[in-house]
Amino acid sequence: MIEVKNLTKRYGSNVAIDHVSFSVDEGTIVGFLGPNGAGKSTTMNIITGYLSASEGSVTVSGHSILDEPSEVKKLIGYLPEMPPLYMDMTVKEYLNFMYDLKKVTIPREKHIQEICSLVKIKDVYNRLIANLSKGYKQRVGIAQALLGNPPVLILDEPTVGLDPKQIIEIRNLIKNLGRNHTVVLSSHILAEVQAVCERILIINKGVIVADGTPDKLSHDLTSDHRLVARIEGEEREVLHNLRTIKNVVEVQSFGEKEPGVYEYSIEGAPEKDLRRDLFACCTRFGTPILALRNSDLSLEDVFLRLTSDTYVPKALQQPAVTAAPEAADSETKGGDQA
Amino acid sequence: MTAIWKRELKSYYYSPIAYVFMGVILFLFGVYFWQVVMSGSSYYMTQVYSIMFTWCMLFLPALTMKTFSEERKNKTDQALLTAPVSVTSIVWGKFLSAFCVYLFTMLITLIPVFIIGAFSDPSWQLIFGNIVATLLYGAAIIAIGVFISSLTESQIVALVATVGVSILLMLVDSFSGLVDNVVFQTIVNWISFQSRYTPFTNGIFNVSSVVFFLSVVVVFNFLTARKLESRRWS
Repeated sequence: MIEVKNLTKRYGSNVAIDHVSFSVDEGTIVGFLGPNGAGKSTTMNIITGYLSASEGSVTVSGHSILDEPSEVKKLIGYLPEMPPLYMDMTVKEYLNFMYDLKKVTIPREKHIQEICSLVKIKDVYNRLIANLSKGYKQRVGIAQALLGNPPVLILDEPTVGLDPKQIIEIRNLIKNLGRNHTVVLSSHILAEVQAVCERILIINKGVIVADGTPDKLSHDLTSDHRLVARIEGEEREVLHNLRTIKNVVEVQSFGEKEPGVYEYSIEGAPEKDLRRDLFACCTRFGTPILALRNSDLSLEDVFLRLTSDTYVPKALQQPAVTAAPEAADSETKGGDQA
Repeated sequence: MTAIWKRELKSYYYSPIAYVFMGVILFLFGVYFWQVVMSGSSYYMTQVYSIMFTWCMLFLPALTMKTFSEERKNKTDQALLTAPVSVTSIVWGKFLSAFCVYLFTMLITLIPVFIIGAFSDPSWQLIFGNIVATLLYGAAIIAIGVFISSLTESQIVALVATVGVSILLMLVDSFSGLVDNVVFQTIVNWISFQSRYTPFTNGIFNVSSVVFFLSVVVVFNFLTARKLESRRWS
């Protein structure tokens, strides 16, 4: 449905996005995740034809945004980061204006009413947009994107400014829309993408650093076997003992959590179960284990790892700059934390 | 184009802009109408219109200052530029809505003219020529104003710059005497709105001036469209 190839955008010497490639299949909900300034909005602006790329191509349903901009724009409903609302209009006037602007052919009254009940703005229908709360403005922005029932929806941070209840409503709405629309949404809130999206693209500093389902992403990055244990005993001694266990790669102390009890992170070689050896070791030295858990990375950790300054994306280590963690290692036990 | 034209026209009348503009222009018109026609017991309407030239040139930038700068500032241009409409039709929609406000104002000035006409016998051709010329230079300065508005995010900058340009276009022929160069003088006279407009008040319907003003409109609307287009690339 959406095909993005080698998209690059430079602002002078500043590279906003750097050879980004991905494709989105029909009927999927894709989440664009990244810290502020990662290039999410820029990518979306290029797909929708608001900005043009310095390099690369975007095709939607086989139409190129460069050659047939009008065709592509007809297929896309876009909610920019800041909803493009005219403050001097009422919701009714605004939606009617957008209806005309987008040259929608679906019967006007019925279509607009349907959308209004979908995003729940019927009760503010006749009010001036300037007087609406941020949440309502956001929803009017979503309504505007839905006009004309475009097959592709591009939503830039759709739940910003909404209260928790509204966020859940909008998420459900997006999920429902995902049944017969292709949705690309961006967010810097993990929980959101995790809850709504079938696929996540993590973008950092203009480069896609990860691409996959939420499960797969946390799985890929937690393939190292890690345990977190609370062990009673003198810290230095325990650390030393733990390091003698076979297959242990790294041991780290998190400090004293209870009197005389320290917490340790123990990282083993991939695919090695450390728990038995750990137990044996601690019994041998008479330092009881008081708590033990798996330390799978949550998606949050994945995100922080991928977007940290020290992380070198796998994508950059490969000649083709299309991030593909599929190439990433092994089918380890990994975390189903999703 | 009609969607944008309708929206813009409405927004002029939802905000005080159109009322203030029309109020000021019609008030000034009234003052000079009184001075020339009532006090002077004359039905020589063209004199009123030729005084209005200066005021219209000065106040028209108020109509155009917000056209694109406001859109850009509020990021509403994202809706326009991602909608399946061409940039050219966006520009013409905006241009025409500002022009319509001006047109309405000028149509209202015809009311006293017709009243005068009912009691005397003015030269209708002359009045017609004047109205056409008034609309033409108005259209030209509106196109220029819309273009300047597309260059900046600030309405104030757009306003001041456009007023500056229109003053320049009014005064430019006084520069021609300063430099003793035929080429310079020809160019200056060629672009001067004043020297293009004045013949109309004398009853000369100058086709080349009509073409000149219309060309200014077309060229500047074209430039505005290119400017919007180029913003995508920068």
